[in-house]
Amino acid sequence: MAEGPPQGAVQPTPELDEQAAEVAEVQGRLGLARDAEQARRALLSRPRFSLRTQIYLGSFLAFLFALGIATALVVSFHRMEGKIRFLEIVNDYVVEVEQARRFEKNFFLYDTNLNDALDNVFRAENILNRNAEELAAIMGDNWRTAMLPNLQRYQELLDKLGRQGAPSPSLSKQERLRLQGLVRTQGQQMVSAALALLSKEKTALAKVMVRSRQLLFYSMGILLLFMVANAYLLGARMLSSINRFGQYAHRIASGDFTPVTPTRSYRDEFTELALAINTMIEELEKREAVLVQSHKMRAVGTLTAGVAHELNNPMNNITLTAHMLQEDYDELGDDERREMVGDVVKEAERAKKIISNLLDFARESGSQLEPLDLPHLLQETITLAGNQIKLSGIKITFQTSGNLPRVHGDSQQLRQVFLNLILNAIDASSKGGRIQVLVLPADEPNYLAVKVIDSGSGIPAHILPSIFDPFFTTKGKGKGTGLGLSVSQGIVAKHGGRIMVSSQEDKGATFTVVLPVTTIPAELGAKE
Amino acid sequence: MPVIIVSADDFQQGREIAHRVAGVLGYRFLGRDLLARVAQEKQVSQQDLARALDEPPGLLSRRSRRQRLLSEIEAACLEQLLEDNVVAYGLAAHLYVRGVSHVLKVRIINEPEQRANILAQTGNIPLERARKLAQRQTGGERRWSQDAYQLDQTDPSLYDMVLSLGTLEQDKAVEIICDMVGYRKFQPMTYSRKCLRDKALAAQVRLALMERFPDIRVEANDGTVVAYIQSLKKDQRKKQEQVRQMAGELPGVRHVEVHVIRDYFGQAAQSSR
Amino acid sequence: MSGNLQVLLLDDEPIVGRRLKPALAKIGCEVEVFENPEQALIRLGQKEFDVVVTDIRMDEIDGMQVLQFVRERWPRTNVIMITGYAMMSLAREAMEKGAFDFIAKPFKPDDLRRVIAKAARALGSEIDFDAAEVEKANG
Repeated sequence: MAEGPPQGAVQPTPELDEQAAEVAEVQGRLGLARDAEQARRALLSRPRFSLRTQIYLGSFLAFLFALGIATALVVSFHRMEGKIRFLEIVNDYVVEVEQARRFEKNFFLYDTNLNDALDNVFRAENILNRNAEELAAIMGDNWRTAMLPNLQRYQELLDKLGRQGAPSPSLSKQERLRLQGLVRTQGQQMVSAALALLSKEKTALAKVMVRSRQLLFYSMGILLLFMVANAYLLGARMLSSINRFGQYAHRIASGDFTPVTPTRSYRDEFTELALAINTMIEELEKREAVLVQSHKMRAVGTLTAGVAHELNNPMNNITLTAHMLQEDYDELGDDERREMVGDVVKEAERAKKIISNLLDFARESGSQLEPLDLPHLLQETITLAGNQIKLSGIKITFQTSGNLPRVHGDSQQLRQVFLNLILNAIDASSKGGRIQVLVLPADEPNYLAVKVIDSGSGIPAHILPSIFDPFFTTKGKGKGTGLGLSVSQGIVAKHGGRIMVSSQEDKGATFTVVLPVTTIPAELGAKE
Repeated sequence: MPVIIVSADDFQQGREIAHRVAGVLGYRFLGRDLLARVAQEKQVSQQDLARALDEPPGLLSRRSRRQRLLSEIEAACLEQLLEDNVVAYGLAAHLYVRGVSHVLKVRIINEPEQRANILAQTGNIPLERARKLAQRQTGGERRWSQDAYQLDQTDPSLYDMVLSLGTLEQDKAVEIICDMVGYRKFQPMTYSRKCLRDKALAAQVRLALMERFPDIRVEANDGTVVAYIQSLKKDQRKKQEQVRQMAGELPGVRHVEVHVIRDYFGQAAQSSR
Repeated sequence: MSGNLQVLLLDDEPIVGRRLKPALAKIGCEVEVFENPEQALIRLGQKEFDVVVTDIRMDEIDGMQVLQFVRERWPRTNVIMITGYAMMSLAREAMEKGAFDFIAKPFKPDDLRRVIAKAARALGSEIDFDAAEVEKANG
């Protein structure tokens, strides 16, 4: 439009805009990318122990345990089976032996045939021989020395008796009685030994059964404990991570964009989440940097208006001097000419200085953390806003208590914060108003406070809580973006400080920026 | 003595008032007659010029051609306004003469009902239709001014004074404007004349360059002209040189500076601010 | 009043006075230059000048106050405002308060001479604006 804005409304020149945008991007990329890359490396450098692994491992261990229990049970059943089989054999044997003794008794009483008894003995011997393995398994080799010889001896005695009996009654009565006694003793011994064995093995069987029952019972208990413990560990691990990420979310929401760094000695699925969050933080931070930059360019735009006017004074001096020099060149003496040229040079210098202040602020040399002298920084900022202050007819006073410690921060960004507060104060003040800027130790130790106090109209109590919200503005349409305080708060939060406001209606407002003293907030914040 | 620019939503009465003010003060009346002269000098149709001033942007209207016609009017009108003692009406001057202290800008408004009445009488149409027409006119005015000058001409803050014919008689309105112009505030001075001259020069330069650079924006300050053009990086130098040369040949131009805007969206955002 | 036009020039920029004093002398003005508004006001209380040229934006006392003072004390005196902070609102304010003219910085010496010549004419004392022009042409 040919009817461009009048003198006052000056837009930043396109070159400046572009340059600044580039600078912002580079700055964003450098500062953040370094942190993010470090965090990424730290996150990935740990050994991997994923949740999945923990679940698989837990289940596998439980399975192994169950397998162990099952194997133990199978073994113990097998043993019980052996014992039962043994008992059966011994039982059969006892039955045969007792039958043999019954026939033996008949023989003694009624002189019946001994062959039946021998039959039984033979059968008992058969039983023993047939089941030699089972017997050996349980009694070891001594079954041969214990049972079989006894039986064989009994058999021999019976044989002897039988031969002496019916076919050869020649045997003396005494001899017969002696043999009788031997047979009876031998038989009794055999039966009682077998019965003793039987009862011993029965007890052993009962014991084995009890033990295997207990084994089952205890192992179930242990398995249960193991599974509970595993579930608990898994749950605790997940819950603590979820809590941690909840805290990250809060932290990020409050404007602290330090990347998430490792807290545990291994990595898992949450590491992926942490990486994703770091990527998000990076994006957010890039956007924030653009926002900060665009807000800064607005401030530059505001200041440009003042500077444009301020420039008119040296320009006027140059114009007048040059014209008069041209007009009177011939009449003037050398000294006068020299003086006038000197004036032109001096005024050009002055004009340059007026712009360079603003240019320094507009064009930044990348974001950099360094120890800062706050009073000095504020003095510069006030100079930067000087034209605005002059234009609005406001008196500004600056006070500081001497010997303040330094603050660690980014001078460009902090200057932007203070400039914003001062420009706001100017907007809030009416002509002839007064703005006070103070730098002093804060109430809490190791913090400095910067106070910008205006005597303007103040902020109504009902909007006080929302003044830091993005897009909240009380200025007219097209005058404020409502981002100034929000952006400022973001910057201050990143420096580990905060902005507070107190205001009484019609009595002005006080903005206080509290910043920590020479620590490295950006890295302190990253300890998580 | 001052310049008065009248804008009205009641076209007929607005024109009458402007005319009468000129009569009472002995000022020159600058109205649509200017279009005839522009048409003759620039070989464009007078109807097209009038349409560019009146018709809200339609789907088929060619914006660049319209802007060009408006630039013709703007340049011609500003040149006329350089001589004091003028009452301008109907040339959209309230939209391109801003920030000049000796220009008194007056907006005349009328009740919708009365406007409808007048429309019904003059156009010989039923009142109901006239009402709708009046309503459409207001919307059209707004759309037109926003499209052509990125300003809402129904916005009172554009004017030094808004007079409502709903409460004032025409006579009284004329009287008030004549009184108002007597205030020292609206006396021309070296600075305000310079502002107006700068605007006129900027309009001339823009007009001269518009065919070649449709998006050009021009500011002038005491013979120094700053032109903002859009360009791709590769054409930048060539275009800058072209602008410098074309503008440098115009009368009154002493120095030309060309700024190239490469950011199209930024430009769009700026021009709508 | 001696034939010369009596001019008081007030600007806190010293160079303005240094350059304009000879420039205005050429067209027959007798110029008193002040950099301090307070001293200028004292002087203005003592003497009636034909023309007062004053800057607006100054530290202690505003050019507008000087304007008002002069308008009250010497209604005949023409006051010309010069400022680097020219804006429509300021211009209108100055005119409303009775300024004779309002010039935006930067301006050329001739711009001010022309305005002063006009002011002199308004006072009924024609001054020879062309004196400087003639001199320039000769030189």
